[in-house]
Amino acid sequence: MRYDVLDAPDFGLLRITLERAGERIVAESGAMVAMDAKIKTETSMRGGVLAAAKRKVLGGESLFQNTFIAEADQQRLFLAPAPEGDLRALQLAAGQQFFLQSGAYVAHVGEELKLDTQWGGVRSFFGGLGFFMLKLTGPGTVFYASYGAVHPVAVSGNYICDTGHIVGFGSELTYTIQKFGGYKGLFFSGEGLVCNFSGQGQLLLQTRNPASLVGFLNPYRRVQSRS
Amino acid sequence: MHYEIQYRPAHALAFAHLQPGESVRAEASAMVSMTPNVAVETQANTGGGLLKSLKRSMLGGESFFTNRFTAVGSPGHVSFAPDLCGDLLVHELTGTQLLIQGSSYVSAPDSVQIDTKFQGFKGFFSGESLFFLSATGYGPVLMNAFGAVETLDLNGELIVDTGHLVAFTSGIEYTVTKAGKGWIQSFLSGEGLVLRMRGQGRVYIQSRNPAEYGRAIGAELPPRRS
Repeated sequence: MRYDVLDAPDFGLLRITLERAGERIVAESGAMVAMDAKIKTETSMRGGVLAAAKRKVLGGESLFQNTFIAEADQQRLFLAPAPEGDLRALQLAAGQQFFLQSGAYVAHVGEELKLDTQWGGVRSFFGGLGFFMLKLTGPGTVFYASYGAVHPVAVSGNYICDTGHIVGFGSELTYTIQKFGGYKGLFFSGEGLVCNFSGQGQLLLQTRNPASLVGFLNPYRRVQSRS
Repeated sequence: MHYEIQYRPAHALAFAHLQPGESVRAEASAMVSMTPNVAVETQANTGGGLLKSLKRSMLGGESFFTNRFTAVGSPGHVSFAPDLCGDLLVHELTGTQLLIQGSSYVSAPDSVQIDTKFQGFKGFFSGESLFFLSATGYGPVLMNAFGAVETLDLNGELIVDTGHLVAFTSGIEYTVTKAGKGWIQSFLSGEGLVLRMRGQGRVYIQSRNPAEYGRAIGAELPPRRS
């Protein structure tokens, strides 16, 4: 199997080539763009009904995942995420752990890769990170997407970022949620709370924030008068 | 300090690189990330007085509060991104003046003064707030564009849709006019108000119009309760 990413960072498209019959890749439902005809699709609630329901209800992932299996050599499969932006691969060594923002996951390769929905804690929720993140444990390759370009930061010491711009981070990093620019900043700065990461590891940021787009569009919605 | 822009043009991200003690001001909510040695101070944007400042935030799409980022003890950086997709651009002031559409302004260092220059109430009827900030002094000014940015060097006359204007240098005279001959034709043409610009200088325009985008998508979204 080999892969390449086309049209990144603006409209990343993943091209997988399953070189041998029997090779497979698991993808988020709805990610398939196009594929050669000798690929079989199996739809399943991976890990069983309970694990799938947990992912759906808690993690914002979809209930079903599709497994694409080549039935002949040299079969191509194109995958794309929902938002405009980047798409990248993340190689995880055996035992290596990484956290992804729910919704960033696109596909993965590797039978041994573990995907689990992780309770982020109350501080994570109030910090805007959401209650749950997707916890990945290697070995395997994960393909993830972002809104806007992915900006990787090699954190060594501390680094501060807006919670809406986080795509994921390595488990070597720890973080605290803190207010931004004092109490006045909390209410008036427009930033509210920020994440302060510490340790040595990789932090992935996205150059646009979905909540900002929603905030821009909201005043343009029609107004329904109360009857 | 200097600005560095990456990931152009669709989802640009700007870094303000600061030497120890250097500051940069930015619109509220523009901050994406920063090094831990950067101190943040939120200020009411009272340049020109409280009333002017309130007017600016209500009419100009510019926020009432500004954040000031200062590198303490060692060099540091702050990164900025706008709400919508598109490019970022830097215009260097050399004792010159730049007039910036209110919602296009992102950030500037202390060597640049940002002041209000209110265009007038005409802008209300077009649905596009016509409101300019005046940037004067020395140094770079960071602005955002919705879509790509085009730089037009003007020598003569140019007509620009108000929703596509990012900024223009002083010395260019402008009048706000209807796009068509009469109000009805102007309304039907969908162009609303345009700026008729005359003179010599530089005009920055953006390839998409935020209000047009908002109306196109907003009409398709479920209604909100009044």
